[in-house]
Amino acid sequence: MNAFQVLVVGVLAFLFAGSIVALYRGWSTRRESLIWCALCIIAAAAMLQPELTVRVAHALGIGRGADLVFYTAVVVMMVGFWMVYIRLRYLRRDITTLVRHLAILEARSGLSGSSGRKGPDPIHDRPPTA
Amino acid sequence: MNADAAHGQPITPAEATAAVFVVIPAFNEASCIEQVVQAVRAAGPLDVVVVDDGSTDGTGDLARRFTGHVLRHLINRGQGAALQTGIEFALLAGARIIVTFDADGQHCAEDVSALVAPIEAGTCDIVLGSRFLGRAVGLPGGRRLLLRFGVWFTRLVSGAKLTDVHNGLRAFSRRAAERIRIRLDGMAHASELVDQIVRSGLAYQEVPVTVRYTPYSKSKGQSSRGAFRVALHYLLGRMIR
Repeated sequence: MNAFQVLVVGVLAFLFAGSIVALYRGWSTRRESLIWCALCIIAAAAMLQPELTVRVAHALGIGRGADLVFYTAVVVMMVGFWMVYIRLRYLRRDITTLVRHLAILEARSGLSGSSGRKGPDPIHDRPPTA
Repeated sequence: MNADAAHGQPITPAEATAAVFVVIPAFNEASCIEQVVQAVRAAGPLDVVVVDDGSTDGTGDLARRFTGHVLRHLINRGQGAALQTGIEFALLAGARIIVTFDADGQHCAEDVSALVAPIEAGTCDIVLGSRFLGRAVGLPGGRRLLLRFGVWFTRLVSGAKLTDVHNGLRAFSRRAAERIRIRLDGMAHASELVDQIVRSGLAYQEVPVTVRYTPYSKSKGQSSRGAFRVALHYLLGRMIR
């Protein structure tokens, strides 16, 4: 094993261990951890046994192992970016919902204060639910 | 309705005198918010709701001097988000008709009555202002082309035959406002709105309005690059619900 292989495999081992830890600490779902572990194993195998990628590439009708790695990396990255983008959109939507909720609550409290309305406030004075 | 589900029971604000609410989304509009709110208030018995979308120039404080309904977004979320906030608040406050109005001084407050009239007459639920049926004073050629492209694009994607899509002057009956929910926070909400209007099956119509372009309003408008981004956001928004 050359120095580069040692470095990359070390990083992949670290990521693999991180995925396991994340699963046990509840930071990621089982599916997410499984995908990360599988990616780490496949990348490590390709790094340690480059002839494996050549064999798979030939089986798929691709000329070189390096091409297979390149095409796979592009597809995986695109899927990854898309998933992150979708998650970011949902996160933005959640932030907007939260900001909106706060704005309306604040406006309501201002209204009830300025109008001098007596009696319980429909939202703030609601009894706590279980 | 989403508003009720999200924010509890309907409210009855003591200051709500009219059932027509004008929602003005505003982001850093300190230089003209006073003028705009005053003009709308002078146009009739209207309740003005200003949604300060995270302004850093004191827009919200200024607006508070002229209307009791000022909602504040803690952080900037975009015009679409601010409109939805204002609409939800107006619904909770018992609005019968909700008008949306830009804060940059482009719109004429006198047009509000023309927008409200068809809804009050019961002929339709949604009224959209059109500067191309009315007047677009000082509209630059490039912007005209961009707006025409927007109309063509929306017609292609939504199938709505409108003459003006990105006009912030609109009116909704309560029924329509309850059915429509703006999900796109930014400027792409205009096309999304048209989409939802078409899908809702509610009757809609365009009325002529006047839009006056000033150096200030032009500086706040969309660039052609911005318009491309808006189109992209709209298409992605259709893909990801």
